[in-house]
Amino acid sequence: MQDQQRTGLHKPETVAEALAALSDLGGGGTVMAGATWIMRAPFRQEPMKPAYVSLAQIPELHRIEFTQAHVRIGSAVTHARLVRELQAIPELRGLVSAAGDSANPAVRQAATVGGNLCTADFAAADLVPALLCQDAEVEILTTEGRQLLSLDAFLGLRERLERAYLLVSVLVPRRPLASAHARLPLRKAGDYPVAIVSVAVECRPDGNMRGAAIAVGSVDAVARRWRGLERAVAGLPLDALRIHQLALDLADEFVGRDGPEVPGWYRVKVLPTLVRRAFATLQQH
Amino acid sequence: MSEAETLAAVVNFARRDARDKLRGRTRYMVDQVRPGTLHGFVLRATMPSARIVNIDTSVARRMPGVRAIVTAEDAPGRFGIGIADQPLFASDVVRYHGEPIAAVAADTLWQAREAAAAIDVRLEAMPAVLTLAEALSNHAHLVHRDWKRYEVLLEAEGGRRGGNIAWEATVARGDTAAAFARSDVEIIESSFRVGRQSHMQLEPRGAIASYEDGRLHLVASTQAPWTVKNVTARALGLPPSRVRVTVPPVGGGFGVKYGCSIEPYAAALARAAGRSVALINSRQEELQTCPCRENADIHIRSAVTPAGDIVGREATVLMDCGAYGGEQIYLTTMTAHTLGSAYRLGAVKMTSRAVYTNTAPNGAFRACNGVYNVFALERHTDEICSAIGMDPLEFRHRNVLGDGDIGSTGQVFEGNVLGPMLDRMEAMSRSQPSKRAEVGERLYGKATTVGTWFVFVGPSAATVNLNPDGSATLVTAGVEIGQGTMMQSLPQIVAARLGIRPEDVVVNAADTDAAGFDVGVGGGRTTVSLGAAASVACDEVRRKLLEVGSKMLQTSPKHLVLKNGHVEIVGRAGGGISVARIAEHAQAVSGPISGSGSFTRAGVPAMMGCAAGHFLDSVDIPVFAVHECEIAIDPDTGHVEVLSYRVVQDVGRALNPSAIHGQIQGGVTQGLGYALHEEVTINPEGQIAQSGFGSYRVPLAQDVVPVEIALHEGAPSMGPFGTKGAGEVPILNVGATIACAVANATGKRVQELPLTPPRVLSLMLDRTEELDLRHAPF
Amino acid sequence: MAVRINVNGEERSFDGDVVTPLLDVLRNSFFLTGAKDVCREGFCGACMVHVDGVPVISCLTPVGLVDAKSVLTIEGLGDESDLVPLQRALEEGDAVQCGMCFPGIVMSLTNLLAQQPLAARDEIKRGLCGNVCRCTGYERIVDAALTLARNERRANV
Repeated sequence: MQDQQRTGLHKPETVAEALAALSDLGGGGTVMAGATWIMRAPFRQEPMKPAYVSLAQIPELHRIEFTQAHVRIGSAVTHARLVRELQAIPELRGLVSAAGDSANPAVRQAATVGGNLCTADFAAADLVPALLCQDAEVEILTTEGRQLLSLDAFLGLRERLERAYLLVSVLVPRRPLASAHARLPLRKAGDYPVAIVSVAVECRPDGNMRGAAIAVGSVDAVARRWRGLERAVAGLPLDALRIHQLALDLADEFVGRDGPEVPGWYRVKVLPTLVRRAFATLQQH
Repeated sequence: MSEAETLAAVVNFARRDARDKLRGRTRYMVDQVRPGTLHGFVLRATMPSARIVNIDTSVARRMPGVRAIVTAEDAPGRFGIGIADQPLFASDVVRYHGEPIAAVAADTLWQAREAAAAIDVRLEAMPAVLTLAEALSNHAHLVHRDWKRYEVLLEAEGGRRGGNIAWEATVARGDTAAAFARSDVEIIESSFRVGRQSHMQLEPRGAIASYEDGRLHLVASTQAPWTVKNVTARALGLPPSRVRVTVPPVGGGFGVKYGCSIEPYAAALARAAGRSVALINSRQEELQTCPCRENADIHIRSAVTPAGDIVGREATVLMDCGAYGGEQIYLTTMTAHTLGSAYRLGAVKMTSRAVYTNTAPNGAFRACNGVYNVFALERHTDEICSAIGMDPLEFRHRNVLGDGDIGSTGQVFEGNVLGPMLDRMEAMSRSQPSKRAEVGERLYGKATTVGTWFVFVGPSAATVNLNPDGSATLVTAGVEIGQGTMMQSLPQIVAARLGIRPEDVVVNAADTDAAGFDVGVGGGRTTVSLGAAASVACDEVRRKLLEVGSKMLQTSPKHLVLKNGHVEIVGRAGGGISVARIAEHAQAVSGPISGSGSFTRAGVPAMMGCAAGHFLDSVDIPVFAVHECEIAIDPDTGHVEVLSYRVVQDVGRALNPSAIHGQIQGGVTQGLGYALHEEVTINPEGQIAQSGFGSYRVPLAQDVVPVEIALHEGAPSMGPFGTKGAGEVPILNVGATIACAVANATGKRVQELPLTPPRVLSLMLDRTEELDLRHAPF
Repeated sequence: MAVRINVNGEERSFDGDVVTPLLDVLRNSFFLTGAKDVCREGFCGACMVHVDGVPVISCLTPVGLVDAKSVLTIEGLGDESDLVPLQRALEEGDAVQCGMCFPGIVMSLTNLLAQQPLAARDEIKRGLCGNVCRCTGYERIVDAALTLARNERRANV
């Protein structure tokens, strides 16, 4: 209960204003998007910050734009809006599935793309692997200006960025892909997935895969691409069972993080099954 | 009671509280904190076992908004259920992570928390025993060094205790050694382990305490107002008559509110501050400071003839009390009735030990240890069938208790109940298509289980006041926790006995100043005990009504009947006088009409010498259950999906079938949580690792199926209209039924609950270690 | 600077800390105790309200983020004299037990049925994955929602 405090809530209307506020606040302030992570600070035994910078009033961050080359998703776009506005795009089926199945309906109305990507401690984030396998880039704004980096690079950097920064948008390249997302919660739904596999494949005219991008989430502390498996399946037909076998052979490159909900070995053990499910979904379409 | 009355009592009477609950208007205890009430917060230990070197509250006392701080000095008494081993605050030692050390009352919750953080507590770590095995090992650290000096509160002949064994109850009938030594028997030995289950009722525990005219008034979210009254008084060193407890609608209990817990802290603060104090658990406190259903280790073996007779059975059940004995001491009695009273046994010897550990104390939760005893019993039964090559249903039909059979304490059971219930289940099962076709690539499993629980009959009191408008007011200390008894079956009983409509029965909210003693809501006892007391009270009201009516109608009471809100002459329908007129008339002439009644257990005889350390030798009202399920298991991930679930429940008489169905659907769901999803683990610091609804997973809507239900009526029961309690037993067999189905589907030895996906996958991959129960010898 | 919110059609203001959860503002400042404080984590749904027509987890929403918006709580559904059809269906179906989950469930289902008036059983169950009930075992709640969906189907025929 914050009754003794007077928390600051900045409501900038441009990204420049937002960055200025964040720079001024330094360690005493942070971005507030959907606030669902921030408001659970007591569960992490963390204090609240003296001030927050709300993104609610910055139109650029709430836009979804379609260009020839990209779909540009503002960082404050919610999971629910992602589903609504991207569901007609077959190439992004995996991303839509990730956004539409995560958490629960009300959380999906609040939780944002930016929140999912920036929260380093949130290993089970669904959108991270879904965007990784789309070779997404992120646009960040620092005092040095706007920068584009691969999502992969951003994930490695996000805890180490010393200066204030703002994640402005995610750019998803538009390519002739098919994508799918396989997640494994412990109940039917409503809890964090213990393992996630997100895939995007580009098929040749003969039906074989030109290439596959396979991202794994929630198994390690940070989501990443499964390059070894990607190399093994390149050029192969879209055959879920065969790819499952390859995944079985290669899975031990993962260690798996221990958690109170499941031990690490379990996450690694179910990985090949999730690979099979993701590719089976692709086969269906 | 006449058949007409009985028929009148049976009705799906709608709950009068549903509307306000649907509109968010119901004011639970948590909704009744008025402005100006102080907020309490409990400072809790963050080590499992330590010597308290010093507690310094001087800085905290001076902090803004702080109105009172209390510690062990302010409440030195010890309380408990079987043994008075528990203080309100730790004083010389800390015995569990989360144990209260001090409590603060301040103008706001934030201020109270800040002040608590400023209390300087110096602790010196001591060794801790965190598991049953550790607690029972040689030279184990004693959780209670002074256990010998504790006052024993409940009488039980032959009980033993010592060291970290808080209580031991045994039952021994016949010669098990001889049975096991027979040359014609196969000996089957099984081991089981279960974890804790947390209630996760939506309304946390809490109370609002105030001092009025030198008396303490607690508005408490509790199932047992008299327990709260008596324990609070004892803890604070007050005469019980100086404590009043009132209870608003309660947002769920399931047993967590059956004992006194948070209320005395609110009381101590209110006394110290001289102002009203609200003390309400956060969800994290609710989950991590317990009480939970205890974790347990069960070791059982049987000597069985090739024909399938159980000539001998031995068991040792270890129950984790946590740091204080609490309910578990009492529950050692229940093994004999849950593990030992479902099947015919030749000779039997069972030992139950309640064991202290340096963890948060456990307590009562719907069907208590029955839930894991039935799990162990039915898995063991299936292992027997596997060993001797008998069909599991055939074995059950052959061996379940019937009329005249004796349970493990020698109690004689009346009526053939389980047998016909098994038949009913088979009929129900055959009438539905098998779900086997739905499993696809998954493994299919099915199982049928039996279980014995009982209605926990205990003292109840009731008063019925007849009002001049012809309505009646029922005054008891019963509480509506969601089970519906106070809204449905109790007004139905009173209405049927008085010939008025249930709508015209007012049910007074629990107030220990108004209502006589009641041992508490739970244990399936509300309908039976409170109903019986209410029924006796109604007898008196009827007698007076008919007496006055007979004078007014110039007819002998023998020829009068109570019907449709009237006193009528038998055979002359439509005539007669309204109850309202009689009540009005009586008020003027002889005084307002009322009646009072009380009820407690009759006491069914057990066999002499069988039971030692038992608080109950026999059960007055056994309740039987037969469950069946079909499941599908994903062989790649270990996920278990429930495809169908069936229940045949022994209800005696169903007074409100719709309400019972609701209890069964809800109880089975809770059981599915116990069987498949809900896990409490303890970290190396002795703290419960789960912190709320995110990390402790209860079943959600997609995780359940509609339960197919058959209510078995007609088994003998002393309850009013032949009813038995129905609210508790629906959870009893669920762990067992799911576990047996998983064992059948996988062909693996299921020994533990919950069967979470990692546990099931581990079983299927043969990665699971055998349980080592050397600390639970026979 | 005070936060201004329209609550159930009435203009209200709150001048405490801007990160005070909306739930606490509703319960402690406006005395609207229908939304319940149960989990504080966004998993149980007992605190559900609508903000500008969208279901919102009020325990995780800082009041500062709802400035100038419209909040609908359980108290704002229906009127003095009557239940909305969903509440009536739940009452007639004998679905209520302890009752603590129902305000949140009614708010969730009201929104779900507005979005998907013809929802099937599994869609309703899926839509309830953010609402915990510990007493009832859910099926009667789903049945009540289906009754509405069925009536909607009939009305459209």
